[in-house]
Amino acid sequence: MARGNILNKLFAVGPLFLLYYLSISEIDTNLEKLFEVFSLNLQIIIIYFWIIKRPSLMGTGHIFFAGLINDVVMGFPLGISSLSYLVVCFVGNYVRNKSVNTTIASDWFTFLIALLFANLLFFSLLNNFSDVVISYSKIGYNTFFTLFLFPVFWFLFNLYQISFIGSQDA
Amino acid sequence: MSVSRDDFSIAFRSALLQRGASHKFSILSLIILAIVIFFLDVYGFTAVKTARSFINDVVYRVTYLASAPTRVFPSVNSGISSHFNLKKENEELRKVIERYKALDLNLEYVSNENKNLKKVLDTEVAENVTNIVLAKVLVDRNSPFLKSIIINKGSKEGIIKGMPVTQNKYLVGRIVETNYLSSRVLLLNDLNSRIPVTFDEKSTQAILTGGGTRKPTLAYLPEDYEFKDDITVFASGKDGIFNAGTPIGKTQNNGEVELFVDPNQLSFVTVNLIKPTKEIF
Repeated sequence: MARGNILNKLFAVGPLFLLYYLSISEIDTNLEKLFEVFSLNLQIIIIYFWIIKRPSLMGTGHIFFAGLINDVVMGFPLGISSLSYLVVCFVGNYVRNKSVNTTIASDWFTFLIALLFANLLFFSLLNNFSDVVISYSKIGYNTFFTLFLFPVFWFLFNLYQISFIGSQDA
Repeated sequence: MSVSRDDFSIAFRSALLQRGASHKFSILSLIILAIVIFFLDVYGFTAVKTARSFINDVVYRVTYLASAPTRVFPSVNSGISSHFNLKKENEELRKVIERYKALDLNLEYVSNENKNLKKVLDTEVAENVTNIVLAKVLVDRNSPFLKSIIINKGSKEGIIKGMPVTQNKYLVGRIVETNYLSSRVLLLNDLNSRIPVTFDEKSTQAILTGGGTRKPTLAYLPEDYEFKDDITVFASGKDGIFNAGTPIGKTQNNGEVELFVDPNQLSFVTVNLIKPTKEIF
């Protein structure tokens, strides 16, 4: 029984561990060696999915801290990734408060709104207030591929949730 | 109508201000905190710079440790494949050595000729750069937006912003951020990278412009300039940052430059401790 509890707790911290690991490690989702324009913001997908499905697993303090680590590793001004993650978190919270039952289609549509808000904020803050310049096309491709691959990760995370955490939605 | 507006405001406020067992901070308070940190960092207060430098050093070390598994598996895989290709590799290396021996003799002749010509021109003989720092690449995370690497040497070794970074005497990039124990190197293919270069027999001047893609491109060329393949591009040194004559890459007929050093395959680099005559950024 005790071992089962420990396992359940370990599985429950899985998404948060993945978020931190993606932020701090060299593992990146920018597969430009295979396909020059491909880049993906997996952190945003993780945050949005788990905030909608199981908010208890994804504390806002952890999201904020993961954003700060990501900024340090990537060389962005401190706080900018945290802001964009928190915007995603806010839209996710709002959608969860307003909806009773969610489907992949509704999640995908609302994810588009969250992603647009987050990337717009990220791009405008970076280009207007810092020395770092990024191109419209880069952020456009990133937004497109992140949105395009959301259903794939939705299925994967859903499978993880059903198999290891429990299917109960928030 | 008013009910739906109330619903909206309740859901909105709840999303912003809600706190619970796992959400010890409201989103609004964290957003405000992130904005404050962002502006403190952007407008570079001394205390924040020092704190950031310390945080960077710690996080880069943790990143290096956390990324160990991602480095071990590819090296094991390449180790096994190279073991099976040893004989073939040995033959190829012998051929390369023969070729380099011939080149070495040629180089000796050319460098002697160059020294003599410099004496004729009465110019100073450029001394070899001895003040260099060998650094290990700690993090080479491939961001979709920024092309940079983190190295394990910082201001403790005398590295300052703007210093050129090379590998095997080929230009790799320049230092854009220094911490006490680590530094960030902006690579040549980053969108923010601009380097004055010279190439071909006419010493054509151009600016090597990174575009965030694998290969940087040549810009600001003379009118009607026609690109040719396989012409070596060198740093012109006109910016007062890079050593004139540092090789960078070979031209391609579409205006791109194939870099001598693959920016994604860097393990060790050298930082040339030359104080830039201009402030960078």
